[in-house]
Amino acid sequence: MAGLLEVRGLRRRFANLIALDDLSFSVRAGEVVGFLGPNGAGKTTTMRAIFGLTDLDAGEVRWNGASVSAGDRRRFGYMPEERGLYPGMRIGDQLVYIGRLHGMSMDDARRAAASWLERLGLADRVNDKVESLSHGNQQRVQLTAALLHEPELLILDEPLAGLDPTGIDDIGAILVERARAGCCVLFSSHQLDQVEDLCETVIIIDHGRLLETGRVDDLATGGARRLVVRVEGDRDGSWSTGLEGVTVSQVAGGEVRLILDEGVDTDDVLEAARRAGRVTEFVMQRRRLSEVFREALR
Amino acid sequence: MKALRFAVIATAVVLSVAFRLWRRRRRRDASASTTPTRRHAPRQFVASDVGLVMGRELRERLRSHFYLLGTIAIVLVVGAAIVIPTLTHPKSTSESIGVVGTLSTSTRSWLATSGQAFGVHVRFVEFSDVAHARTDVSSGRVDFAVVNGLELVVKTGISPGDTSTTAYIVQALAARLGTQRALAAAHLSAQQAATLAHSAPVPIVALHRAGPVKHVNATSIIGVILIFVMLQQYNTWILMGVMEEKASRVIEVLLSTVRPVRLLAGKVMGIGLAALLQASVVVAFALVVSSVVGSDLLHGTGTAQILGTLVWLVLGYSLYSWVYAAAGSMAERQDQIQSLALPLSLPLIVGYVVTLTAASSPTPSLLLKVFAYIPLTAPFAMTALVGFGGVAWWQFALSALTSIVCTLGIARLATGIYRRAILRTGRRVRLKDVRRST
Repeated sequence: MAGLLEVRGLRRRFANLIALDDLSFSVRAGEVVGFLGPNGAGKTTTMRAIFGLTDLDAGEVRWNGASVSAGDRRRFGYMPEERGLYPGMRIGDQLVYIGRLHGMSMDDARRAAASWLERLGLADRVNDKVESLSHGNQQRVQLTAALLHEPELLILDEPLAGLDPTGIDDIGAILVERARAGCCVLFSSHQLDQVEDLCETVIIIDHGRLLETGRVDDLATGGARRLVVRVEGDRDGSWSTGLEGVTVSQVAGGEVRLILDEGVDTDDVLEAARRAGRVTEFVMQRRRLSEVFREALR
Repeated sequence: MKALRFAVIATAVVLSVAFRLWRRRRRRDASASTTPTRRHAPRQFVASDVGLVMGRELRERLRSHFYLLGTIAIVLVVGAAIVIPTLTHPKSTSESIGVVGTLSTSTRSWLATSGQAFGVHVRFVEFSDVAHARTDVSSGRVDFAVVNGLELVVKTGISPGDTSTTAYIVQALAARLGTQRALAAAHLSAQQAATLAHSAPVPIVALHRAGPVKHVNATSIIGVILIFVMLQQYNTWILMGVMEEKASRVIEVLLSTVRPVRLLAGKVMGIGLAALLQASVVVAFALVVSSVVGSDLLHGTGTAQILGTLVWLVLGYSLYSWVYAAAGSMAERQDQIQSLALPLSLPLIVGYVVTLTAASSPTPSLLLKVFAYIPLTAPFAMTALVGFGGVAWWQFALSALTSIVCTLGIARLATGIYRRAILRTGRRVRLKDVRRST
């Protein structure tokens, strides 16, 4: 199921708004790729462009070296940001219908629907209408609709939004599993901790432009050093202000996360912390994805 | 009618050829856009996604309670329209005439012949006295009585507008007996009397041939009403169906795998099939009931006329469905739909009202003839023109062809609007919003 999605030089303007500005990136089979950006960055427009749902002023979407065709798109799976299924249609009928639109036979679609519903704990709801399900379960059915035909490319717009921790774990596990099976998985999310756990690679965009892309490990180990310090009795990290070459990244629960410039000596920082109280934690850490994200947007 | 039958067949052939050409082109496009290296390319699939959408629409309509209840309601209304007139004016197959005293053989024979002309068998009941005859007339056992060839006794007075068989026979018989009585009083010889009896009107010489006075038949009026009701109903289904897909956001999932034009075509055809099925049930029911109760309403209606009405139902639906589909894609709430529905239904209402008004006149008006070639009003006007008779096959075919060409143009335009409006959510989309892009 090897595949390669290439997005090349996408440009799109809506009246006075530039939604995509020469955006290019690629997604390889076997990877879970996080697609990140603030609201209005152009993530949904990009995903829609992959499925031909928006006109492009310029650029091209390619799959395995050729322009994406209608036939290709039937082998893709899509979970749009604005969820939607027929509210009054039975879940089983609905999944079979969508599976068949993706080219499955009636029997295959039925089997796949039964199998996915069983796995997601919804086997007994096959004859229920979608509108009778809870939000989380509707989301599971929506994901099933995107997975049913074993897509070669899976595009999910905010698949984790509104889910409880169990739901996030379930869907996360499925995304990783599909990638391991050789599928290209691209999903957007604002939950950066989950993205960091699930993704090998991230793409960060803003104002329709690519800001940063790379493997999560590479991005985490790149950039300035991070130092986490905890001083007994200190809640606001005030001891660290004024240290030359040191920037406070985050203060939470008494833990101070510092960004150190290249020439900063950690012994000087430790000394400053000791003057404030007993040091209970002093450890170098990788960049968090949230820091990569914020720094990319600066 | 023979010409009309030919026109219907010709239209069917044109539609069939157009569909085959379109399908062949679709296949060619599909094979050109699919590279041979792609795996899992579902063969024949391109031809079937329209079928899948169509199947879902048809299935969901047939399952819906509204469809079932709607069909029952229309069937009941049509049934009532056919049955009730036969209850208020029961159609008799025999005419019983009471006779008191003597009634000449020639008059009896004339009455029998007159009865046959009205499709009734005349039966004579002899009475010994007037009292008995009056009693039986009063009770309805006989339709009227002739007393000594000098007087006729009826149950209720005959009004000028009475068109019943009894009224016709009574009035004609009263005139005949009066003439016979006058002839007898004139003491004419047998030869003179015979000459008068065989009098014939003098010929009328016309300098210009009069135009044929035609009245549209009842079937066409019913057809026009049926087309109006059904177009309103089925197009509302399209409007609501498209709007619901947008409102529920399922549309984005569908459009990620089916092209807008094919999704819309499947929807239009699926709902159209449900509509045609309902119309066929109603027409079949009307024909059966009409035959069982012996209604005059569909009397003399040819297969071609019924097929002609169905053809215009299909053509009208095909045209308007695209317009309503495009409109549905611009709204996502009921209140937004309402502001769209009125302007959309205006051409339907104008076509319908003008046609019904024109149909009540003895000859088809110029406006009706013009409307018969305007695709938006042709479903009503051409159906009525066919009812007037005298529509040549080429006129029917020309109007149908104009409608098909116009439908293709509107379908293209509607698909463009649909594609650009369907993913725009929030406020109602306006036409200026869809001039460019999604």
